[in-house]
Amino acid sequence: MLFTLWLGLFVPLLGFLVLMASSRILNRTITGIIGCTTIFVSFACFISLFLAFTGNSLDPFTAKLYSWIPVRGINADFSLHIDSLSLLMTLIITGVGFLIHVYSNGYMDHDEDIVRYFAFMNLFVFFMLLLVLASNLVLLFVGWEGVGLASYLLIGYWYEKPVAAQAAVKAFVMNRIGDLGFLLGLLLTFYLFGTSDIVEISNLAGSKFASGDSILTVLTLLLFVGAVGKSAQLPLYTWLPDAMAGPTPVSALIHAATMVTAGVYLVVRLHALYILAPITLLVISIIGAATALYAAICAVGQTDLKRVLAYSTVSQLGFMFLACGCADFYAAMFHLTMHAFMKALLFLSAGNVVHMMHDTTEMSKMGGLSKVFVKTNWMFLIGVLAMSGVPPFAAFFSKDLILEQEHLAGYNTLFYIGLIAAIFTAFYLTRAYCLTFTGQFRMSSEELKTVKEAPSVMLIPVAVLTVLSIIGGFLGYSFGKIPLLEEFLAKSEVTLAVPQPAEGMFSSPDVWMSILGGLFGIALAVYMYTGLKGAFPSPLEFLRRTFYVDEIYSAVIVQPLEALSRFVANVFEPKVFDGGIQISVQATQGIAGVLQRVQSGQIRSYIAWIVLGSVFLIMYLLP
Amino acid sequence: MDITLTIFFSMAMFTIGLIGVLAKRNALVFFLSIELLFNAANLLFVAFARQWGNEIGLAWVFFVLVVSAAEAAVGLAIIINLFRSKQIIDIDQYNVLKG
Repeated sequence: MLFTLWLGLFVPLLGFLVLMASSRILNRTITGIIGCTTIFVSFACFISLFLAFTGNSLDPFTAKLYSWIPVRGINADFSLHIDSLSLLMTLIITGVGFLIHVYSNGYMDHDEDIVRYFAFMNLFVFFMLLLVLASNLVLLFVGWEGVGLASYLLIGYWYEKPVAAQAAVKAFVMNRIGDLGFLLGLLLTFYLFGTSDIVEISNLAGSKFASGDSILTVLTLLLFVGAVGKSAQLPLYTWLPDAMAGPTPVSALIHAATMVTAGVYLVVRLHALYILAPITLLVISIIGAATALYAAICAVGQTDLKRVLAYSTVSQLGFMFLACGCADFYAAMFHLTMHAFMKALLFLSAGNVVHMMHDTTEMSKMGGLSKVFVKTNWMFLIGVLAMSGVPPFAAFFSKDLILEQEHLAGYNTLFYIGLIAAIFTAFYLTRAYCLTFTGQFRMSSEELKTVKEAPSVMLIPVAVLTVLSIIGGFLGYSFGKIPLLEEFLAKSEVTLAVPQPAEGMFSSPDVWMSILGGLFGIALAVYMYTGLKGAFPSPLEFLRRTFYVDEIYSAVIVQPLEALSRFVANVFEPKVFDGGIQISVQATQGIAGVLQRVQSGQIRSYIAWIVLGSVFLIMYLLP
Repeated sequence: MDITLTIFFSMAMFTIGLIGVLAKRNALVFFLSIELLFNAANLLFVAFARQWGNEIGLAWVFFVLVVSAAEAAVGLAIIINLFRSKQIIDIDQYNVLKG
């Protein structure tokens, strides 16, 4: 079992090294095969671990490879922790990751530098696995920064495009702000617990701190700042919509299914700490609810298909944090899993359209595409319905579980905010679907001739994700029994704050409100955005510009910083630095000017100096 | 025998040599004055060697003689070359090392 674990972790890294080392000699097909095989091997390894785990022949364990930082108070080993939570994450990463790798073979078929692409994708999977498997916070931080690096490299994959390069830098810098919080939290953990081991910390927390301890609140808030950056929550979300400048499979894997959920994973992984800090939980749920609603409203105003999905991701991550904030960690993980399926499905089927339309992402050029993309049309539609919370698809179960738990726990305001966000979710996704696939063509007939349905290498992974989005919800719902996923995650003590009511879901009025809300959103969007006869409705300007948040950040932070930099460059540096150096230069030259008169070139004057010196020396030495 | 007179004579010789070195501009006289300085020191060596009956002082005299002979050879060669370059024997004119 240990060998399987290490194999599963290191095969993607091996794939990265092999691809990078032999990038010149590999052709396109072999590159694709290597890139996908490594992830598949990894997936198979974790499946076998999963089977052993559910078959009760394996208990949660920690496997140590070597002693990494054997310093007292830190004691970070290179060791992995296997329990149901990390296993679930590894299955999502490698499973969805494998499908996206296969899909990439089709999506990147016009790209020259495909080796670099697959190498970075494999590197990303390795770091993501390291992040979720790490048994201590230091190693987790390595994975955390590693996925940030891979994300930077892949957003900027088309680095010739200035937009992509800028988006990559933006993502990196925004994440750095969050990572500072994480790093401070890490240092505080060493100080408070004297160890970085997650299991030990979780065990110590209850006995060491009372609920509501202020230092624990500070610690959890600092770690949450890291999660805010990585998971693109308010106010650090602006990098995620810009990150859509990368290839679409990258958006699907990194910026929808896996990396951005690392923040949620972190909070769930350390739930033993968070439960003891009610103030932090309140902050988390407020930020989550605000982000869910805000991003959902912003998504309504987007004209770029991928940006709609990006804001949708931000919004759904907000839902997950909303669940975390009410201590419903199971609901958060359930929604995370379902979201990974659905958002990967939406991104990849959108990618079909984008790719076959020669990298057009603007919905104003689309419209009526259901006649061309017959299969993609159905799969995207299922993704939209699933995400909108239409039963019996995936998000119906997960999102309603979150909303219902809010209500049961008594957070009525948060419940209604979540409900409104859910209605907006249904609305903007249906809007995106209608503008893209229904109505009349918005491009000329010559252009239309070059567009056809995507090849099967792209369709099959999307079809698998479609099936998962349809039936996935039943992982978390079963008639009258404890759901499979809940039972599985309960082994890691990832549970609900208020157990699900025994009478099941459909009896509660909240569920009906949420279903009707979703249907209302869908109906409204269908009413507004079908029958447009080829015209493209331009959204409200302040929605399209997302309440001018980017402009506000630019005015409040970026431009003052640039002004300061200019001041330093144009005034401070020439006057203070160069001026200071000039003073010392002139002083040296002045002293040298006086001293060089002594060196007259006259031998007799030198002798006179020697005599004078000797006389003084003799007078000094004489007793 | 009292060496006071010898010491005074040596001091006078040294002073004359020093004044010559400092005041004379003619390179040959300058050089001659340096020899005076050497020999003032030699005289003292001899006088003190005799006073204390210590032959080390005499040995030093021979060292000084050898060094001054070598110095005379090198110094005269330099003076000849200086004269060849400028046709001037006044050492104040040779100040190319001025800072």
